Amino acid sequence: MTGLQWWCSAQTSAWTWSPRPFPGVWLLVALLVGMYWFLRRVADPAPDPSVGSRNRKTKWAWFGGVLALWTALDWPVGALAGYLASAHMLQYLLTALVAPPLLLLGVPDGAWRWLASRAGIVRLLRFLTHPLLALAIFQVILFYTHLPSVVDRLMVTPLGSFAIDTLWLGGGLIFWWPVVAPVPARPGFSYPLKMGYLFLSTVLNTMPYAFLTFGKLPFYGIYELAPPVGLLGARDDQQVAGLMMKVGGGLILWTAITIQFFLWYSREGEAEGPVPRA
Amino acid sequence: MPVLALAACLVLIPVACGIEAPERTQAEERERSTGYRGIFLADADPRPDFVLTDASGVPFDFRARTEGKLALLFFGYTYCPDVCPVHMASLAAVKRDLSADEQRRMVVVFVTADPRRDTPERLRSWLANFDGDFVGLRGTEAEADSLMLRLSLPAAIRDTAAGPDYAVGHPSQVIAFPPGDGFRVIYPFGTRQADWNHDLAKLLNP
Repeated sequence: MTGLQWWCSAQTSAWTWSPRPFPGVWLLVALLVGMYWFLRRVADPAPDPSVGSRNRKTKWAWFGGVLALWTALDWPVGALAGYLASAHMLQYLLTALVAPPLLLLGVPDGAWRWLASRAGIVRLLRFLTHPLLALAIFQVILFYTHLPSVVDRLMVTPLGSFAIDTLWLGGGLIFWWPVVAPVPARPGFSYPLKMGYLFLSTVLNTMPYAFLTFGKLPFYGIYELAPPVGLLGARDDQQVAGLMMKVGGGLILWTAITIQFFLWYSREGEAEGPVPRA
Repeated sequence: MPVLALAACLVLIPVACGIEAPERTQAEERERSTGYRGIFLADADPRPDFVLTDASGVPFDFRARTEGKLALLFFGYTYCPDVCPVHMASLAAVKRDLSADEQRRMVVVFVTADPRRDTPERLRSWLANFDGDFVGLRGTEAEADSLMLRLSLPAAIRDTAAGPDYAVGHPSQVIAFPPGDGFRVIYPFGTRQADWNHDLAKLLNP
């Protein structure tokens, strides 16, 4: 019998499909819901009624991000991530690649305006989310949080597991910030550069993918020695995790590249104006 | 340009650190002293002489049938939620890494500590999930316990009062009897496939 845990972590007891509560995850979800209310009501008390459709979009994006995080961290995915490397990878994809851009897209315009008026914060953000630095920070987090010695040490306690999830979310926000966030303004970081930035990250995540997919032996002790879930062996599970990183991560990043391309295309069309009639 | 310098530093830190400092595990410490990652027992008794029934109902003479081969003996039960399936899955995986000749010179023997529930059919189908060549043996509870004690292992504890889904406490180590006997190597739970790969090569090719 496993006692109540505030955050999910690797377990030595056999996996069961009986739901388990993780109060820390629920608290995080409640905080994010509350944060949206704060951003809408406090930072943007009198929104422009002409942007109602945009407000609805931000709401959907924000709650989509919250849902992605909730799915990643709560039972069953969060709990399975203590048993299967593939579930851990799904958690990574949702926490670092899906939730952050949605949360950033979900920030209401008024909150961005409020942020843009805070010179100190903008200076810090300009430095921290500089594309080169953001990419480096994200890749270093990706690298270290997939090292076997780090995963085996951290995933066995709720605090360690929380640290990994926090790093993924924080790293994901930094990584997506220059692509999605309007503050600080980066007019030089054009759509083609954004596409290049995203493409480079698809190339860089090839290393951990290859490490997982083509490794002959299981790398992670916690997954190799975890009570089995289904018939998936440790080696197959690791290969599935590697493929998920490449295919799932690639799909997300290429979707983002495609969106950037169409945004660029439509912006170019607007700049050129209507085609004159002969 | 400070941003570029910081980004370069961040990326280069893992490279400068040698990607990952290798962690010395207990198994690797043992390897340094004995050459094996398992627990090496020198001057051990030869492999035990016992006969139990295999999953087809045929008597299996352990000493005679495993003579000249590497025998890996384990006591467990098919309803085990953790240790038994992990050991069996590891052994099946590392066996597939061996050459056909090496595979023929190795026998994995699983003796059930729970003959009440581990019927021959269940034993056969459960082991087939891992490897069709793994040998499943069963006797009476007393026979299984007596064999464990002969091998200096604790006897099984069957919590039958807990109902039909009772748990069985059983030794969690695999005992390796090399082809020439003379010593044993014990593999506790926690033995990684990398450790098995390392030691099987030595045990099969002394």
